[in-house]
Amino acid sequence: MSMSLDGVVEAGFLADRAMTTMQQLGVPASPANFTIWFEYHAGLIPNLQRTIDVIISNNAGFSEDRLKDLYTTFFSPAKEAQAVRATSLLALKTLRDIVAVANLAGADALDASVGAHRFGDALVDLASGDMGASLGKLIELIEDLVQRSKTMAGRSEFVSLRMRASADRIEALEHDLENAIRDAAIDGLTGVANRKSFDSAIRRMAGDAMNSGDDLALLMIDIDDFKRVNDTWGHPVGDSVIRHLAKTVQQTVRGEDHVARYGGEEFVVILPRTCGRAAVAVAENIRKSLARDPVVLVLTPHMTPITVSIGVACYEPGDSLASWIGRTDAALYQAKREGRNRVELNQG
Amino acid sequence: MNSIKGEVGEHLLSNMASRLCLVVDDSAVVRRIARKLLTGMGLEIVEAEDGRDALEKCLQRMPDVVLLDWNMPVMDGLEFLISLRQCEGGNAPNVIFCTTETDVEHIRSAMEAGADQYLMKPFDTESLRTAFAGIVYRQ
Repeated sequence: MSMSLDGVVEAGFLADRAMTTMQQLGVPASPANFTIWFEYHAGLIPNLQRTIDVIISNNAGFSEDRLKDLYTTFFSPAKEAQAVRATSLLALKTLRDIVAVANLAGADALDASVGAHRFGDALVDLASGDMGASLGKLIELIEDLVQRSKTMAGRSEFVSLRMRASADRIEALEHDLENAIRDAAIDGLTGVANRKSFDSAIRRMAGDAMNSGDDLALLMIDIDDFKRVNDTWGHPVGDSVIRHLAKTVQQTVRGEDHVARYGGEEFVVILPRTCGRAAVAVAENIRKSLARDPVVLVLTPHMTPITVSIGVACYEPGDSLASWIGRTDAALYQAKREGRNRVELNQG
Repeated sequence: MNSIKGEVGEHLLSNMASRLCLVVDDSAVVRRIARKLLTGMGLEIVEAEDGRDALEKCLQRMPDVVLLDWNMPVMDGLEFLISLRQCEGGNAPNVIFCTTETDVEHIRSAMEAGADQYLMKPFDTESLRTAFAGIVYRQ
């Protein structure tokens, strides 16, 4: 009695801690997430605890797909195991059907009904009761049948139809998942990557640059006097200006470059294998194509042309990402200080 | 159970002088930066370019800590770790994985194979110190 009471109190305590931790880490309170954090505090799955500690200590964040991975890895049977189980169940069901058919119609009907020639002999033995044998032999035969039915399961048209149906369903689910992940990574206003996606991209690209020793540059682009645009023309015009800049930036850079909306009227671009003057040239291209493109002027004829200031800095392996972003930001503010509508390179 | 705070002894860092650290990475850039930062923390450094090279270095002189890349030619980090733990005296070194692999499955298999810490690339002085502060020296 007291033991079960202790158990209840302990569970309540763990539930409390789980909720608190989820709140601290900004993890949504879904049942699956609750399971993860409850078990994390219960400590009964050491590798779950250690994996989560690694993610926390590396500041890698608990994105939706990472939480999903945690749940799948530690709580739900792996895809493969699920597939094996589904196949076994299917095989057993097929076997039962075959035995039922054999019982009803006799062994002769078997070949015609399921088209399983390899089953023939064993089932004839089983159905006719001609075994004359021990239990051990019967088990052996059933095991053999399960094996054979597994082989056959893949061939039967009925089974393959069902397999195709579940494959379609899995595909649809994967498609939904992809969409959800994409939506979570894209800025709604401009269609370029959002801040969250930038955070993981910069980590990935800097990791690769650290390994390869290749150059890596970061541009920080800010619309000049954006507050005035909003105040004078209203937010819908402000929004089209932001969209126009996003489009211009994307048309100017290469496919492998990562463009993201960093916040309000600020964009960032990560440029692999680029640094120094080459990176400044890319920034200048963006600044100039914005000056050339009259779309914004058509929108509101009396509006002063939109210009941008751009800060550029190169990644130094061993440097923290925060300090790299900070240096880029410093270059951007230097560009602002020196009169706007210009590009500044951080000198390291 | 307060592992969420990662409160395990920062004081161990001050105790690190003259400890031997084996840096295993096929990237010369990574080895150079790791050597620079770890030497600054008072560690003695040995380098290896792949898992097999690292095993040979371990047999010559068992390090106190191994900073271990995952993807390498000849023998990768996980294979190395599994082999190391089977060697005589190979259970003693602390192993810190240091890799661009960041998914749950990689972290889980690293821990299962006997890694002590897991550091994601790119690393810097701060994250390296955090990883080293998180280890408890094995017996």
